[in-house]
Amino acid sequence: MGLTSKVPAANIETTQKGMYNAIINRVNIMDGKTFYLTKEKLRGLQREYDELVEFERRKSLGEEAPKILESEDLNPEFVSFQEDVGFLRSRIDELRNILDHHEVIKNPAKDQQNVVGLGARVKIEVDGQKDEFTLVGTLEANPALGKISNESPVGRALLGHKAGDEVVVSSPIKTIYKIKSIKYEIS
Amino acid sequence: MDKIIKFLIEIGKLKKMPRRGWVIRDIKNPETIAEHIFRAALMAWVLAESKGKNFNVGKLIKIALVHDLCEVYAGDITPYDSILPRDKEKRRELLKTWPRFSEEEKKRLADEKYKKERVGLEKLIKDLQPKLRNEMRSLWLDYEKGLSREGRFFKHTDRIESFLQATEYWRINKNLPQNPFWVQARELHDDPVLLEFINQIDKEFHKKLKSRA
Repeated sequence: MGLTSKVPAANIETTQKGMYNAIINRVNIMDGKTFYLTKEKLRGLQREYDELVEFERRKSLGEEAPKILESEDLNPEFVSFQEDVGFLRSRIDELRNILDHHEVIKNPAKDQQNVVGLGARVKIEVDGQKDEFTLVGTLEANPALGKISNESPVGRALLGHKAGDEVVVSSPIKTIYKIKSIKYEIS
Repeated sequence: MDKIIKFLIEIGKLKKMPRRGWVIRDIKNPETIAEHIFRAALMAWVLAESKGKNFNVGKLIKIALVHDLCEVYAGDITPYDSILPRDKEKRRELLKTWPRFSEEEKKRLADEKYKKERVGLEKLIKDLQPKLRNEMRSLWLDYEKGLSREGRFFKHTDRIESFLQATEYWRINKNLPQNPFWVQARELHDDPVLLEFINQIDKEFHKKLKSRA
């Protein structure tokens, strides 16, 4: 998949040239992946992990499930997990792996906030239509909700660019992403 | 046993339900939802095994088999449904681009789809024995929410099966716009194995065309 893009950069701790390549290399080289998470997502995953571990503990002792697990609106998966120990253990292992290999996305320094990096909200124009993306790690990516993975071809192409830039993603069909504005709103 | 027969008769309807994405594009004799499930399951299995993904392949295939069962009752929902014009010409124009929505609209559409499909799934599995019912629900939730590596991988494989089908239809009918499928693919996929596979599809369908020209 061909990408026509300037050398991209990214902001994890700070936005520095070469940092982006270092991140991608690390992701590719490591068998265990590094998960880039917003603080909000990290909090959610940590809470889910704590609840599931507690749930599993109580289940093994034959005790009742904690109150919070009874609400399907809050945790729909738990209803099924209550009956399926295999799923419960597999999700706990999955969460442990993520929590052990994560890095929190932080706002870049003020003078770097004009550059697209992880966590940036980017207003774009593409094919004559307006859209808005947030650049996130693979675990939070959900293009249907405007969250684009930093490892996707479009995510990679946008990284390191500024408002006013036109980013071309080609092969076999050329698409131009015009960057209208960049904002960082990480809590 | 009668409840199992009823379940199988209901899911059998997917063998006759055409995928809506092809219907709105006026594809003749479009693939059915069951046909999509069949190849998506094999695609996930083959790609995972051939690239040494070290997945729980049994789980991966089960996720594939379950992921669209809800469509027996929820129907097949496309991103275009809420904005699809009745006028054929306007519709053709719309289908040339990937649809874009505001943040609020994206959230509303995703919520509506999720709720409709969840209700559809529950209706379908309600009479199955609890162990089976819960497993099917867990597998579907894994796919929807990306709870495991297998669930996340299949979510992408599912879209790539549609992408391959679109490319196959395009080979027969060059008037079928490819742009939306490529735009979606480049914004959505980030798994190196699947990105490489998309490149192979590009080579298979486009480079051959170029070399013939």
